[in-house]
Amino acid sequence: MKRSRDRAASELFAALYPRLAGWCRRLVDDDETAHEIASEAFTRLWARWTSVEEPRGFVYVTAANLVRDHWRKLERERKAVHRATAEAAVRPHTEQADPSVRLLVQSLPERLRVPILLHYYADMPIREVSELTGRREGTVKADLHAARELLRAQLRRSLDHTL
Amino acid sequence: MTTRFDDGPEFPPDDPLAVILRPPADHLGPPPGRYEAIRRAATRRRLLRAAVAGVGLSCAVAALIALPLHLTSPESPATPSVPLAPPATSGPTAPATPTPSPDRRTLAPTDPRPTAEPGTPTPSTGGRTGRRPPEDASTPTKRATRPQEPSATPARPPATEPTTRQTATLPTPQRATQR
Repeated sequence: MKRSRDRAASELFAALYPRLAGWCRRLVDDDETAHEIASEAFTRLWARWTSVEEPRGFVYVTAANLVRDHWRKLERERKAVHRATAEAAVRPHTEQADPSVRLLVQSLPERLRVPILLHYYADMPIREVSELTGRREGTVKADLHAARELLRAQLRRSLDHTL
Repeated sequence: MTTRFDDGPEFPPDDPLAVILRPPADHLGPPPGRYEAIRRAATRRRLLRAAVAGVGLSCAVAALIALPLHLTSPESPATPSVPLAPPATSGPTAPATPTPSPDRRTLAPTDPRPTAEPGTPTPSTGGRTGRRPPEDASTPTKRATRPQEPSATPARPPATEPTTRQTATLPTPQRATQR
């Protein structure tokens, strides 16, 4: 019983960890943070291994929440540093890898953020997103559509701003 | 609000969202030893959660046991505290209340008063009356000196006679002497 559980955990880790860590890497600044988030997601999964029915969805939702917390922490630190020092000294810190994706996803409301993260970044089909979030498939599709419209408007606004 | 579901192609060819939302899949391999570290951390966390749950359960059981006992007890302990308070405030000036205490029996031979106390519960009041008897005894003697005069004529009805004779006899000699 325990051996089969360990084997299943090992197989899940081998199949899922590189993809999850790569997904986290696109949303955070460095490899170490991506590994930390992916490891924490797997730790939480195995700490309640017997009560989780959908390990893949659980890991991705947990990682999305951790990424969001990481962003909030960075934002607090950035504001604190901005208050403490000159703006010119802070600006290079905010311009990091893949800021557009991060800022666009961060600008979405909570209800639309998780479907976007799971569907587009974790490559989960709509049916799995529906099961994971507890919403109907039609609701998930509508949420994805609303999220895309918001992102498109945000992207257009940022492009107009740069031009 | 009309919503367009995602049954068809999600992005037009020139949609910038396709670049953002359909990135190439990246893979980041785990560092060596990461799997074992995660398993150990998960085991520790599971044990910690079980310990916390056990402590919470034991506290709940203890509360369930202690609560009925606490609800039944408060009537009895309230009573002993009440009689202890008055002697502390009144102090030694009131000897009346604690007569049955053995200490006062031990102190009794030293004081001249308690010699009259041995009579069980009454000596507390008898102490006061013990002081008063000489006064009462003195006052009756003073009164007795006056009624003794009418006592010479005892056979007559006692109720009205002393008063009338006292009022009658006393003023009259003074007035008589003053005048």
